Amino acid sequence: MISQTGHSSSSRCYLTLLVLAALAAAMLSLSDLARMAPAGQWGRAVFHPNLADIHQIIVYQTWLPRIAIALVCGAGLALAGAAMQQLLRNPLAEPMTLGTAGGAQLAVLAAAIWIPAWTAFGREWIALAGGAAATALVFALAWKQRLAPVSSVLAGMIVSLLCGSLATALTILGSEYLSGFFLWGAGSLTQNGWGVFIGLAPRLAVAALLLFATLRAIETLDIGDEAARSVGLSLRRTRLIALAITVAIASEITAAVGVIGFVGLAAPALARLGGARRLRDRFLWAPLVGAVLLWLTDEIAKRVAYSPDALPAGAITALIGAPVLLWLIPRMRFAFAPAALQPGRIERSTHPWRRIALIAALCVAAIALSLLVGRGASGWHVSSLSELGGLWPWRFPRIAAALGVGILLALSGCVLQRVTGNPMAGPDILGISTGAAAFVVAGYVLFGTAGRFVQIVWALLGAVSAIAAMLWLGRRNAYAPERMLLAGVAIGALFAGAVATFMATSLGSQLYALLDWLVGSLYNVSQTQALSTVAIAIAALLGTPFLLRWLDILPLGVPAAASIGVSISQTRLALMLFTAFTAAAATVIVGPLGFVGLMAPHMARLSGLRRASEQIAGGAMIGATTLILADWVGRNVIFPYQLPAGIVCAIVGAPYLLAVLWGRPVPFAILPVRFRRASAVARRVC
Amino acid sequence: MNDRSGYDVCEASFSVDGRTILGPISLTLAKKQIYALVGQNGSGKSTLLKLLARQQPASEGTIAFDGVSLKEWKTRPFACRVAYLPQQPGTGGALTVRELVEVGRYPWHGPLGRMGAADRAAVEEAIELADVATLRDRLVETLSGGERQRAWIAMMLAQQSEVLLLDEPTDSLDLLHEVELMRLIRRLVDARNLGVVLVLHDVNVAARYCDEIIALRAGTLLTRGTPQELMQPEALESIYDVPMGILTHPQSGTPIAYVR
Repeated sequence: MISQTGHSSSSRCYLTLLVLAALAAAMLSLSDLARMAPAGQWGRAVFHPNLADIHQIIVYQTWLPRIAIALVCGAGLALAGAAMQQLLRNPLAEPMTLGTAGGAQLAVLAAAIWIPAWTAFGREWIALAGGAAATALVFALAWKQRLAPVSSVLAGMIVSLLCGSLATALTILGSEYLSGFFLWGAGSLTQNGWGVFIGLAPRLAVAALLLFATLRAIETLDIGDEAARSVGLSLRRTRLIALAITVAIASEITAAVGVIGFVGLAAPALARLGGARRLRDRFLWAPLVGAVLLWLTDEIAKRVAYSPDALPAGAITALIGAPVLLWLIPRMRFAFAPAALQPGRIERSTHPWRRIALIAALCVAAIALSLLVGRGASGWHVSSLSELGGLWPWRFPRIAAALGVGILLALSGCVLQRVTGNPMAGPDILGISTGAAAFVVAGYVLFGTAGRFVQIVWALLGAVSAIAAMLWLGRRNAYAPERMLLAGVAIGALFAGAVATFMATSLGSQLYALLDWLVGSLYNVSQTQALSTVAIAIAALLGTPFLLRWLDILPLGVPAAASIGVSISQTRLALMLFTAFTAAAATVIVGPLGFVGLMAPHMARLSGLRRASEQIAGGAMIGATTLILADWVGRNVIFPYQLPAGIVCAIVGAPYLLAVLWGRPVPFAILPVRFRRASAVARRVC
Repeated sequence: MNDRSGYDVCEASFSVDGRTILGPISLTLAKKQIYALVGQNGSGKSTLLKLLARQQPASEGTIAFDGVSLKEWKTRPFACRVAYLPQQPGTGGALTVRELVEVGRYPWHGPLGRMGAADRAAVEEAIELADVATLRDRLVETLSGGERQRAWIAMMLAQQSEVLLLDEPTDSLDLLHEVELMRLIRRLVDARNLGVVLVLHDVNVAARYCDEIIALRAGTLLTRGTPQELMQPEALESIYDVPMGILTHPQSGTPIAYVR
């Protein structure tokens, strides 16, 4: 099929690589097999296992189905990715980046808890409904930008984050029903028999055949909508049918093994690099590449972890796929940016300090609420001051830590937004917190338990390297906000994969303490930790007056700032170090907590606090209030269980981000003229 | 006049990705003069101005200001001497006009210093000179293009530098404010011995208010001279590639160019 380009030496080189990768995976698999059974029994074990021989049963019931499922899932995801990329004319599209996989997973978990009877019909239909709903949501959000690649995928990644957080919350909520779902959710390929494979493979085969039947119709998309219409194709219907099939494939696979991201992105991209220019070439080669990729990934995951099942393949595919995404982002054509990223006009308060006083009052109210009100065995209870003495050691450290961390994250986000000129930046959404967390875990795995100071140094190193990576990646597009956001989310996914890998490579039990920390909880904060966090937060706050003038000048633009004698690179370096330090100090206490660093300064800005001093003061208190309330909600909402504050923040923060990015920009921001004109043109073109 | 004062550009050039945009070009610019940079689009006027303003370093050659290479000037002391107004100075963040003008004092007080009496006086004077007193409490981003331009000019004046570099400052101004700006610049140069370099589109404005016109073409110096010397049909035609004629202003007697 590749014959047109097959003569070029580069595609032969890629073909050799593919064969080598397949051989490597096969060698690794066989080395496992050799440990399980002597070579003489292999044929028997695979084809006619002797049910009296435990080794042969293990080979037949776990070793073989695991390979089979890896091949089938890899091929299916790659095919779905290739089709989605063609249908949306978006090289970044795949089941995970469009939210399909996340939605499918969430639906299956929710059904297992609330309507377990339905799962009897098969998880597949529930997964399909969830996957379709999440994909539809992403489409609805990115519709205004004509499904522009970067917009759609940014929406999809945020929806995925949201689904993931909700799934984690459900797992905690329903832990007694869901123990079996734990590994499933993370994309583990571990198999106990042929059941899953037998359920999945025929369905995938049918779906793939149907998709191949639409091949010719969707291939004409290459020649453009108008030309295709003139050939007499009903575009909408064809696209919709093909899209439905890809969503079905992705949901089936998610129902079977959980979320495995990035294979559908990487495999078609690699096939294209290898010379599969035409769609029919990609439909053939992408599944092959995907199958080999997932097989090899799973074999590697088995070996780096301390036990073969400890590291789900879904966690490690991010390490391969996120770099592919990062490589692709700067190569996308210009896209309409969401309205919120355009320089809109936001009112500036004439009495900023009155508003800040109001926010301070809210903050005090949140502290009082969190200190005095809680759920107990006998329902809601407001503590009297005399009872407070007993509750103090339990509640005070969490509240103090939440206060300090909230302030630190808000400061970090505020400075970051002003330096990058991106009102939607945040240490969390740009991957800085996750970078810090990854380095802390790496330090823990490599050198064992460390004191607070060493941890902060590790976190700082991680934060700085995440910032450096982001700046390096963004230079090509002059730091276009939307691409920076997507790059940040991808860096976050990369570091999250690294964290999972580090966790799985070391002996599990030592790291259980880190698990609570990684989901962003304040359960185990000690009084000393809490007080030191508050002390660091106050120190950072006291440092801000030295930065205020820079923070007011930099948004004026680089030429203006340089012309009045600000040395841009040194100033940026100093401010970025401040961002890194505050994010790192917060991460060491509460883990890679999402969205507060983005939301707090953004809400302050929308409240009309637009000078640096006002935004910092208001933002810091909004951050503290948000985190204190998140911790309080997490403490009470599913009592007697607890939900980590990080999960609460993500469940609130992801919709906030979606609403701000793609919601109606009124009442706070007026659409700038340029954007209105662009969308008018877009409508006419449609 | 001390020959080390002002700019000394020696074989300077600027290139991006191996493509030369400007130069090599050599010229000297004295203070107490108004220079107009004219030329077609892409002739390198704005690039030359950015090199003079230290916004970009020259790829080859040297540029010295007051006898010291631009590379050796420290950022803030340089900003006390030279102020630069970019072609599109930006929306002005969330600052009011007065706050923006105060930002112009940054090179004098730095990131931490307090606004002193001298700073406040400079701000008030700049607001008066640029005629933005009525706008002082408005947000810069809510102003019209011309008002915004004047706010930025006020900020630049508050900088109290010896040299002003302006990239098409009259672009968004109405006729009244264009005339007022050019007169203000003339007044400042005559009263305070400032040096001014302007990029101008309109050669008639250049001829009327400037002491010398410097014409660039394809990144190199085409010719330079007083308005009387350059306002000749052949000279203008070589600059603009359009047949030009010259009239005489009925009142002031200055030459006026028109397209034939």
